[in-house]
Amino acid sequence: MIRIVLCLLLLCFYSVAKAQTSTDSIQRLDEVVLSDVKLKRYNQGYKLTVLNDSILRKNGNSLTDVLRFNSNIYFKENGYGMVSSASFRGTNASQTAVIWNGININSPLLGQVDFNTISSANYNSISIRSGGGSVQYGSGAIGGSVHLSNDSDFTKHINHRLQLGYGSYETENASYNLSFGNNKWSGSAGVSYINTENDYRILGTDEKNENGAFNNLDLNFNLGYVLSQKDVLKVYHQNFRSDRAFSSTLLAPSNSKYETEDYRSMLEWAHVSDNFTSSLKTVHLLEKFKYFENKDLNNYSEGQAETWLIKHHYKLNLSKQMALSVITDYSSITAEGNSYVDPKRCAFSATAIFNHQFSTRFRYNLNIRKDVISDFKSPLVFAGDLSYKVAESYMLKFNASKNFRVPTFNDLYWNPGGNLDLEPEESFQFDLGHQLEILKSLHLKLNTFYIETSDLIQWRPNTETNYWNPVNIANAKHYGLEVELGYIKKIKAHNFNLVTIYSYTETEDVEKNQPLYYVPLHKANIALSYNFKSFTAYYQHLFTGEVDIIGSSLNGYDVGNIGCSYELNKSGKLNYILDLKVNNIYNTYYENVALRPMPNRNFNIKLTLKF
Amino acid sequence: MISKKITLLFLSVTLLFTSCNSDDDNNGNESLGDYENGIIVSNEGNFGQGNASITYTSDDLSIIENNVFSAVNGRALGDVAQSIAFNDDLAYIVLNVSNAIEIVNRYTFESVATIDTGLNNPRHIAFANGKGYVTNWGDGGVATDDYVAVIDATTNTMSSQSIAVEEGPEKIVANGNTVYVAHQGGYGQNNVISVINAATDVVSTTITVGDVPNSLRLDSDGDLWVLAGGTPSWTGSETGGKLSKIDSSDYSVTSIDFAGTEHPSFLALENGTLYYYLSGSVYKMDEDDTVLPTSAEITGLSFYGMEVKDNVLYGVDALDYTSNGMLLSYSLSSNEVTNFANTGIIPGGVYFN
Repeated sequence: MIRIVLCLLLLCFYSVAKAQTSTDSIQRLDEVVLSDVKLKRYNQGYKLTVLNDSILRKNGNSLTDVLRFNSNIYFKENGYGMVSSASFRGTNASQTAVIWNGININSPLLGQVDFNTISSANYNSISIRSGGGSVQYGSGAIGGSVHLSNDSDFTKHINHRLQLGYGSYETENASYNLSFGNNKWSGSAGVSYINTENDYRILGTDEKNENGAFNNLDLNFNLGYVLSQKDVLKVYHQNFRSDRAFSSTLLAPSNSKYETEDYRSMLEWAHVSDNFTSSLKTVHLLEKFKYFENKDLNNYSEGQAETWLIKHHYKLNLSKQMALSVITDYSSITAEGNSYVDPKRCAFSATAIFNHQFSTRFRYNLNIRKDVISDFKSPLVFAGDLSYKVAESYMLKFNASKNFRVPTFNDLYWNPGGNLDLEPEESFQFDLGHQLEILKSLHLKLNTFYIETSDLIQWRPNTETNYWNPVNIANAKHYGLEVELGYIKKIKAHNFNLVTIYSYTETEDVEKNQPLYYVPLHKANIALSYNFKSFTAYYQHLFTGEVDIIGSSLNGYDVGNIGCSYELNKSGKLNYILDLKVNNIYNTYYENVALRPMPNRNFNIKLTLKF
Repeated sequence: MISKKITLLFLSVTLLFTSCNSDDDNNGNESLGDYENGIIVSNEGNFGQGNASITYTSDDLSIIENNVFSAVNGRALGDVAQSIAFNDDLAYIVLNVSNAIEIVNRYTFESVATIDTGLNNPRHIAFANGKGYVTNWGDGGVATDDYVAVIDATTNTMSSQSIAVEEGPEKIVANGNTVYVAHQGGYGQNNVISVINAATDVVSTTITVGDVPNSLRLDSDGDLWVLAGGTPSWTGSETGGKLSKIDSSDYSVTSIDFAGTEHPSFLALENGTLYYYLSGSVYKMDEDDTVLPTSAEITGLSFYGMEVKDNVLYGVDALDYTSNGMLLSYSLSSNEVTNFANTGIIPGGVYFN
């Protein structure tokens, strides 16, 4: 937590410091080595939460778990480890963008990311940016965006981290991370694997979670090379493979399974000069899936989507206080599968961002973007945000934006039903934030937001054709409040850290005049940790209120996790840390998707070696 | 359309008042159960959501009770209630995604037995020779594993022998010991009727009919009427519907073709008159007619299923498939809507108790 606050403080002062040393190329290189530099530089008016290493390591390697317990985002998980989709500020699964090192990786087929196909093990940090972000991050950044970052470190070092874990339901975890660097090179590599039977007992019955076994493998490799004092080359690669049975529901047996493969590669060349910086990225994304209705048969349906993307970011420093960025990108996406005839999309976008530090207290950014997409018209989108430091400890933030989500390949080309007349979904929204920091030990963030979405795409039955078509039909409103309170206390060698997060989210399906399905009105998290020398203990709590579902509602629930770790050898070259964790200590029965109970109380033990 | 909705709304308000006190005057003669005499609607519910349900209404739709099964038995019915068939005092509710059949007393809806073995994608059930015959797709993506499961209707247990059949068995009816299975085609398209001899449980013959046969009706002579919807346009090989009559003595087929882009469904038959649904309209014709009617009886409909009884047409409308649907009744004399009732989610089947 200390690191989060420090990060935020750094963000606030970063630009000031930078402006003073702008002639120093090495400093400038530092700036471009931040993989998602825009996130920190052009978003002062947005709420940004950075989850660093120590938080990421507390929830296994599951990104769903990390975010469930440490953010406002609500997750619908089709049974533990199964397909998991996010609801950010009450928006739907395809209205949260996931950004991998600056690149939007939402599936062109489905429009969303399955959060159980992202391993949190192989990222240096995960950031959550609340609010509309289509201008900078493209389609789908309506509720907010989740940013996965691999940072380059050009200091001389070589570090290894090996983790081995074992837990309930025959859950085996292993991960290995390597990081190295010197003044020329920087590199990191990671392997993360999980294999589990996932056959937890369903509380109140004699039944077990049937057909829930899964295994995931994540491979990650990144390399940076300093070409000259002004040029850096970087390579990023990530590969995720999952093989998951589709678990049964309480009322429907299953013997299906789902295999996915994701490949993400990027080559980046960054150049810094006295008054401009330039970054050129070439990206290749490939996603594949196979669905086996009966996992015992070699009979499946499959699909894949492949994206090639070239993105250029040019930033011109107009003065010490003003900068103009122009971002252009061109992408080509093709898909194959049993249910479409080779669809293809080409898209070009141009974005301009103007940022101005008007005074030491006041800064603002103006953004505008236009996409030209081959298969439909896309709206002009824009965003503006500002931050105003009312007092040394009090910052006011505001942002307003127009955003969009493009129809997916399934929406456009699925046979039968695909509708080529679809238009992108649109949203208009604003967000007012207050940020208070008292004596560096207490911080408070309060945000109020309003989102209006229109032309939402929904599949509806067509009585003429007897099959379903997607249509731009629904409109929705979302408004609410988010509070985050953090407190750090140090008494001699005892460190206490508390973060509480609460969100209140009202939604309305305008057509039906009722709340949207699967949006809890109330959600709250508590993360408490205590550290004394080599010993750390922590507690995580999640409260999710009742949600409406089709024809019914799902009860709210409280789930708590407790864990402790002990660093057995703190000094010397080799460190080992032993972790024990009990998930769902109250043995709560809960479902976050109807009829799909989540795990009962379970245990996990983990050994970490650092050398 | 809007004026129709307003009329329905108005009707619903008046019905609300009249239906409130109807429960009390039901204490007449010895009753077999609360749900004797009236209409049973099976509500499929959403795939994977386990919100299948049963609706009961009186014939005039004035008494309505939703979620009958769960109210009586204290548990959820299951996932996707595909169809219901009656055998003596029992109702067999086929639960497609649950791979199960709930057997209840048809008048009380109290659970009698649950069959949850030997079924894989079960669709419909019919009874002959003391046995229940259940059509099963098997795995939807596999064309060669489709079968008709056989249930001993006295013990309500699954028998070990099943009958392998062609791809996509759907509707099923029995006439004495002759069981007819319409092969709609599952995820694909098929065009045959299998004939099963209930004495031997062997497929005795198959009969070719129109593409995608979706409804079967037996007439008073024991002949079988088959309505085929035709192959849909998205397949790239669209064919029109076909109405066929199969002679029970020699299985000879006489047919009438629909136009190449017409895809009829929901065949009903009462007193020598056939009814079917096509593009939001209901048409009727005499059994003996040799050409199709050119004008519709009732238009502007959005049915997901329909039946005819006592010159009243009962249709179910699934609306947006995520809200409660509706059961509507139309007088076939005036072709006007007479009543309607709210049902559960995705009402699909209408049955007369």
